[in-house]
Amino acid sequence: MSTHIKILKQVLQKYSSPMTLNYPSGVDKNRMYSQIPEGLRGFIERDEEKCVGCRACYMVCSGRATKIFDTAEKRTVQVFHFRCTYCAHCEECCPEEAIKMSKKFELTVTDKNDPKAYVNTDLKMISCKACNRPYLPEKMQKRVFERLSEKIDPKVKGIVVEDYHKTEGFCPDCKRARGVMLDTHTKKHVWLEVV
Amino acid sequence: MKFKSDPTLVDFVRTEVAPEGLSFKPLHENRVAVRIKAEDADKLAERFISKFKARLIHETAVDLEGEGFDMIYIYDFSKVRERLVVVLEAQISKDDPSPPSVAKITWQASWAEREIHDLLGISPKGTPDPRKQFLPYEWPNAAESGTAPPRPDKGPSGPQEKWIPLGIMPNDAYATLIPIGPYHPGVIEGQTVYVKVEGETVVSADIKTGFHHRGIQKLIERRGYHKGVFAAERVCGICSAAHGLTYVTACENLYEAEVPDRALYIRTLLLELNRVHSHLLWIGVVADVIGWKTGFHLSWGLRERVMDIIESITGNRVNYGIWRIGGMSRDVSKELAERALPTVKALKAEMAQLLPAVAAHSVVKSRLVGVGPLSYADAFDGGAVGPVARASNWKIDVRADNPPHAMYDPKVISWEVITDDDCDTFGRTLVRVKELLVSSDIIVQCLEHLARTTGEVRIEPKVIPVNSEGIGLNEAPRGELVHYVRASEFNMNLPQAYRIRTPSYRNNALIPKMLVGSNLADVPVVMGSTDQCLACTDRFEVIRESGGPSHSMSWAELVALGKRRGV
Amino acid sequence: MADLAFTIISIALIIPISLFLGVIYAFLLRKFNARFQWRVGPVVRMYSDLAPVIGSTRVWQPMYDILKLFGKDTLIPASAHKRLFTWSPYFSLFFSFAAVLFIPFPGMPLLSDAPYSLIVASYLLIASILFTILGPVASGSPWGAIGARREVELFLVAELGFVASLFLVAFMKGSLVIAELSGTVGSIPMVLVTLLAGITMFAAMLGKLHIKPFDMPEAECEIVAGPYTEYSGKLLGTYFLAKIFVLYNMVALFIAVFLPPVSSSVLWLPLYVVAALVLVFLLAVVQVLNPRYAIRKALTWYLKIVVPLVILGFIAAFALRMVA
Repeated sequence: MSTHIKILKQVLQKYSSPMTLNYPSGVDKNRMYSQIPEGLRGFIERDEEKCVGCRACYMVCSGRATKIFDTAEKRTVQVFHFRCTYCAHCEECCPEEAIKMSKKFELTVTDKNDPKAYVNTDLKMISCKACNRPYLPEKMQKRVFERLSEKIDPKVKGIVVEDYHKTEGFCPDCKRARGVMLDTHTKKHVWLEVV
Repeated sequence: MKFKSDPTLVDFVRTEVAPEGLSFKPLHENRVAVRIKAEDADKLAERFISKFKARLIHETAVDLEGEGFDMIYIYDFSKVRERLVVVLEAQISKDDPSPPSVAKITWQASWAEREIHDLLGISPKGTPDPRKQFLPYEWPNAAESGTAPPRPDKGPSGPQEKWIPLGIMPNDAYATLIPIGPYHPGVIEGQTVYVKVEGETVVSADIKTGFHHRGIQKLIERRGYHKGVFAAERVCGICSAAHGLTYVTACENLYEAEVPDRALYIRTLLLELNRVHSHLLWIGVVADVIGWKTGFHLSWGLRERVMDIIESITGNRVNYGIWRIGGMSRDVSKELAERALPTVKALKAEMAQLLPAVAAHSVVKSRLVGVGPLSYADAFDGGAVGPVARASNWKIDVRADNPPHAMYDPKVISWEVITDDDCDTFGRTLVRVKELLVSSDIIVQCLEHLARTTGEVRIEPKVIPVNSEGIGLNEAPRGELVHYVRASEFNMNLPQAYRIRTPSYRNNALIPKMLVGSNLADVPVVMGSTDQCLACTDRFEVIRESGGPSHSMSWAELVALGKRRGV
Repeated sequence: MADLAFTIISIALIIPISLFLGVIYAFLLRKFNARFQWRVGPVVRMYSDLAPVIGSTRVWQPMYDILKLFGKDTLIPASAHKRLFTWSPYFSLFFSFAAVLFIPFPGMPLLSDAPYSLIVASYLLIASILFTILGPVASGSPWGAIGARREVELFLVAELGFVASLFLVAFMKGSLVIAELSGTVGSIPMVLVTLLAGITMFAAMLGKLHIKPFDMPEAECEIVAGPYTEYSGKLLGTYFLAKIFVLYNMVALFIAVFLPPVSSSVLWLPLYVVAALVLVFLLAVVQVLNPRYAIRKALTWYLKIVVPLVILGFIAAFALRMVA
């Protein structure tokens, strides 16, 4: 009997204020997003300005939520929210810091093809001058060059930049095929130093 | 902290433990691999268990493709030498895959031998229970390695007895055979417990699992070390912290790992928060099973606050996704730790007040005391783990015996192993209630440390070496959890084999033993008392994206289906 | 003639009133339960943004649940005894509704002044429960059979307390007409004995209404849905409707017999409402604070606690009659 009373006391503490929280949405003022913790990882948001389409997120995605579709005109980087596990592995790995986890989480759509379920970023592709094969987003090529010029040893910078401009517009295969012709061996500067 | 091994252990194993060994290989962190002849396996098992009081952690097999199978027996020697784990490996040919059975010596290997028979077609000689484990009983023959098993073109061909478990035949007309499951309100997940009742008294019982088996082990093997952690977490939604930690422990075991201290504290914090929420969940489920919805809501109400803390720390409620090989992906900020501290303390006070009162409730007691008895001897032979073993007065706790890569050093964090000598469901309840309080103590200590200090939380791992083996041990809320990983000989990114042995795998095997003699009304209580987690036992479900026409229903179709009348 | 007309009018009136009160009691049980369990329960005033979609209140939730069932398909298992299986719910509903007519409501004596109305009412209530046992037995499901068996075991002891406490009062006041029992208060010792009988009646109500700790016939975790396992659609809805009437009946009978003047006149109506509320609240408190007993335990509990109390009551009542 004494335990009954103890439990009754405990139970009565919250009689007038139930534990149930309202679903955090709707127009009622008390029902707006009220109980979302600070650190919540929700949907992925991709900054279209920053994303260069480098495929890093695609490589690390464990649930295969991120996909890359290449056509002649554009590369589409896509995240499908239904497959996303919100692990933020892509956020960690993104070299451009284009991916951020938002606080949105409402997933319900009645159609799987609803655009709400996807995050797409379209990037313009460059086709190879020689073989006409699309091989790299334009933005990525630009960004690679920027990074290269930032990070590279100033002693060899001149050669590398020169070589870069020589091979600009060729896909990796064609570049390799023309290596001798254009004199763009990647280890050239090392040899220069030795000599 | 750098995890180092004791170099003298190989000599100890060579001279004293297993002189029959052909070759000895020290693995990282006090694990020793011994290659033996397959015929010696049962002899060694007998000696290990009788002489050294060693415990078989898991028995499994690895497919070596052209070269046969490797049988693997993992033994825990932590009672003999600090943190010593011996891995016996024996190669057998594919022509005659029948090593001697270990299950006839220690019954706990029974499920493991049934499993390797199902999955690889190895049939140990003299195994006491040759039935299928995960495959349906009527499945025609074992999977042959390399070729897919032929699918039965029609239903069960033989007489009905064939797929009704041993010991319970429909011929026993005076008794009623009641299948509890695969879908039953008292058991949330899919498994069948066949109970034979006379009146309402259970005279014999048997258990059949395998309704969820989707091959997560294979999935991790194909996914690589760094991606595997997210799949490993999803083995189980309740103890996902335990699975995550065990996975990274196993992978860190492959190389000389170094993990920052702060990361170790965060790991401990998460694991204990996970334990608190899991035990509160269990108390709720048992309260629901004995028909006390209020108890269910009280304990789940408390659990909700733990979940809020977890969500603030990790960003997700269930699968945290912050475990990384070599550390954690997120830090716990000072403000967050300081904000969480009073909440945890208040929660502890409330638990200390409420839960003992619940356990002392007269009607609750009348439903739990003496229900599902399991003696120490049965628990030892059957290989019970976790709170079930500790309630049978057996002091095993991986956190003390063979700690995972987290901060359980008694010099740094004060805590104790809880045991109880009731040997029944009530004892299991008491153990869990007391563990809740111990866990919240650990949480408070971790949070205090995290609020006091700063530091990095992740050290990028070195290249994971080929041809290495790692064993991750951990105390999940339900008991000892083991992940075994063997690095590929050729590929730096993919493991050759990945094996998981979950606590429910052991405890569920003991359910038939506990059920005999109880009342039908107590069957769900006994089944619940092991805190069974069938997602763990059967391991994971995969939604295949490609292959087969997929069709997603529109809203209108769903509504029409709901309104449809007639068949 | 005027009397007959009044009776007919009041019978026509009691149909909606009893249904309304039964639903309200069921709603209150759910609401109290929910609040004790830190939940919200059926919402009395709907949130402003949802009100246009699903209506402004959920007080009628128990009724909606039943109405929903009437819109569903009814499946009859092949192994069932068809006639018994289909007719049992209707009989159960019929008897529990018939009992309504013999229990007075403030301002409406109905048929409660008929001779032997107490015996008729209690028989009708027993018959209603009997048909919740017969139907499941005819269903051919093992869960239904086990549920029905538990129902029988519980029914035997709960009914003992129920009948004994009713007839204890009847014996003390020397009448078998409910109208007379509810009209006379009696001396102070009589009131005390009535209250004692009221306590045992309350314990019997727990068993009859399947309030925890005595809800083992419907223990979903143990025996699925117990007696109702094979029932669906209209038939299940009929059973649930019968349960609503039984709930109304038990509360009304308790007030009529054990709180004497309350249901005799329309002036007592406010007190009637208060008494009903308190009774439902107490039922909810018991429901909330207790897990389910195992069936053996429940039987011994009734035999150990209720039966001695009833015997004590009978001795006191006998003494009172001797004195008078």
